[in-house]
Amino acid sequence: MATTAWIQLRLEQLRSTRVWRSVFRRGPARTNRTRSLAIFGNLLLHLLPVKVRKKSLRVRATYYLGSIAFFLFVVLAITGILLMLYYHPAVPDAYRDMKDLVYVVSNGIFLRNLHRLAAQAMVIAVFWHMFHVFYRGGYKTPHEFNWVVGVGLLLVTLFLSYTGYLLPWDQLAFWAITVGTNIISYVPLLGRPIRFLLLGGYIIGQNALLRFYVLHCVILPLAAVALIAVHFWRIQKDGGLTVRENHERDE
Amino acid sequence: MAGSLCEKIMSETNSYQAGFGSDALKDPRRVVFITRKTSAKVKGEVGPQLMSYPHLILREAIIFQVLTIVLVALALFWDAPLEQLANPLLTPNPAKAPWYFLGLQELLHYFPPVVAGVLIPTLVILALVVIPYFEINIQGEPLWAGNRRRRLRVFVGVVIALVAFLALYDAWTVLVPTLLVAVLAVLAYLQPSGPSRLVQSLASRTLPWWVMSWFIAVALTLTVVGTFFRGPGWSWVWPWR
Amino acid sequence: MASEDELKTAEKSEGNTPLNRRDFFNQIAGCALAVAGIGTAVVTVEYSSPNVLFEPPTTFRAGSPDDYPVNSVTYIQDQQVYIVRTEKGLWAMTAVCTHLGCITQWKPESNQIACPCHGSKFERDGKVQAGPAPSALPHFAVRLTADGTLEVDKLEIVKQGEMLRV
Repeated sequence: MATTAWIQLRLEQLRSTRVWRSVFRRGPARTNRTRSLAIFGNLLLHLLPVKVRKKSLRVRATYYLGSIAFFLFVVLAITGILLMLYYHPAVPDAYRDMKDLVYVVSNGIFLRNLHRLAAQAMVIAVFWHMFHVFYRGGYKTPHEFNWVVGVGLLLVTLFLSYTGYLLPWDQLAFWAITVGTNIISYVPLLGRPIRFLLLGGYIIGQNALLRFYVLHCVILPLAAVALIAVHFWRIQKDGGLTVRENHERDE
Repeated sequence: MAGSLCEKIMSETNSYQAGFGSDALKDPRRVVFITRKTSAKVKGEVGPQLMSYPHLILREAIIFQVLTIVLVALALFWDAPLEQLANPLLTPNPAKAPWYFLGLQELLHYFPPVVAGVLIPTLVILALVVIPYFEINIQGEPLWAGNRRRRLRVFVGVVIALVAFLALYDAWTVLVPTLLVAVLAVLAYLQPSGPSRLVQSLASRTLPWWVMSWFIAVALTLTVVGTFFRGPGWSWVWPWR
Repeated sequence: MASEDELKTAEKSEGNTPLNRRDFFNQIAGCALAVAGIGTAVVTVEYSSPNVLFEPPTTFRAGSPDDYPVNSVTYIQDQQVYIVRTEKGLWAMTAVCTHLGCITQWKPESNQIACPCHGSKFERDGKVQAGPAPSALPHFAVRLTADGTLEVDKLEIVKQGEMLRV
């Protein structure tokens, strides 16, 4: 008891220093005012609303599917960055690096498994979230634009998964991408030029691997972050999450 | 502006003591706050609210932790696949796309690539984008409301046309779920106050609900068939063999 | 001043408003931005289209015609090309399926070229017999060089029925 009191005292002293107060300015979030400031005054958190409707917090309202999709994206970003430390996007090296990660690198196999698992889960979560939003009418006015942003996020997610699929450079990857890019070439007029730009050539080789790597690690994640930010912001601005009322319950 | 206001007051009633400075630019004070309508706001019953911090934030944190635990537990036991080095000269048999595209690949088996690979995905995406802008059925009236007979005729006509088109292309993996959904819809028509609660709830479903459910049924069937029931040469295999 | 206003109102009622200076500059600025935007897009796309490709050469030597017996189909793995020789002549054909790019296989027992991906079947001359392939396997130009070897050019597609008489 004496030690906890001592610790409390030291913490209080720390919290009253000028340095601490220059970083953490509002004080503990115990009044509604400071709780508002915790959200409103925070760079990232002010995407969220300061108050939420009690009904929207229930698990059965949204199953937290959107949140799950977002958290999976965060997990993928972290594991992805770690995997990037060992992966060379070059044609003979890529496969070798995969073997390296799986057999040699400490916890490499775990990180790779986590990355792939989170990727599959994110595709499922994004689809499930979309269907659930549809079934509870969360696309109706004034949320139409947010629905369209959501469709954009769906496409970015699928494209992220697709570009990532090539990176191990094994048979599974190579031929899956062959089939996919050949489908693209069937688009009238623009199909062949798009395929040429995507692959950086006519065949799936060094250029294609590098382009898919850049798409997967830089371009698409940036697009995803931008769209996610808009998606969250629009929820706040359009009046919060849509929750199906009990009398409309379609179960 | 505040300064001139101050001066005006002082000139009218000399005993008035203005408590703020005369230079509004140096010492700005809010005099009047004019709100302007900035964005669409939902005008409706808001209901009881809670502060995001702590209620929302803590719930999200819990969900994140639960998710992490589940993912880590699965990742410890479930290994990601790694086949042999990519060989451009040797096509594996069968060559399958990632599972979320297998539904599309199954569709490619029946229709030419322009249709299955370009047209249908484009139409699906367009349909998705357009959903919120089609303001039909705002009241949420069920499929079989209004002139029931006429609606049944239109419905059966559309289903027959669709089934004929699919049969022409031998696309029975799409045909079967379509027929299933159509049968359920007709069942809802025939017995709106039906025997089971399932039929009763089906009877209250709207047209967009039926269209989306049909889409999900077809997509699910195509993906499951493409994943488990297709083998070398895209021939039919039973997964337990 | 009054006459200028009258002029302006008169022209306004005709629908022939002269451009005032502000709108003029705004339009010039808009056009400049549009040109800059289009220019950026064009430069980016041109940049992204490689001018030099480090891909395997598309013209290759295939030995002498005598290496290919009459009525045979030979698969050259490195180039993904079939060399087919009949009594009438010799032609080179792609081994890449025209459906979605998988590599086909020659099946002598059924006298067919089969694709493992979606079950397309082709005849020896490339014509589609079965399956979802939309078109026949294209033939490549085959030439006889000065020293009697075959040279195949994969970038030059020739008509079905054209063959090298040997």
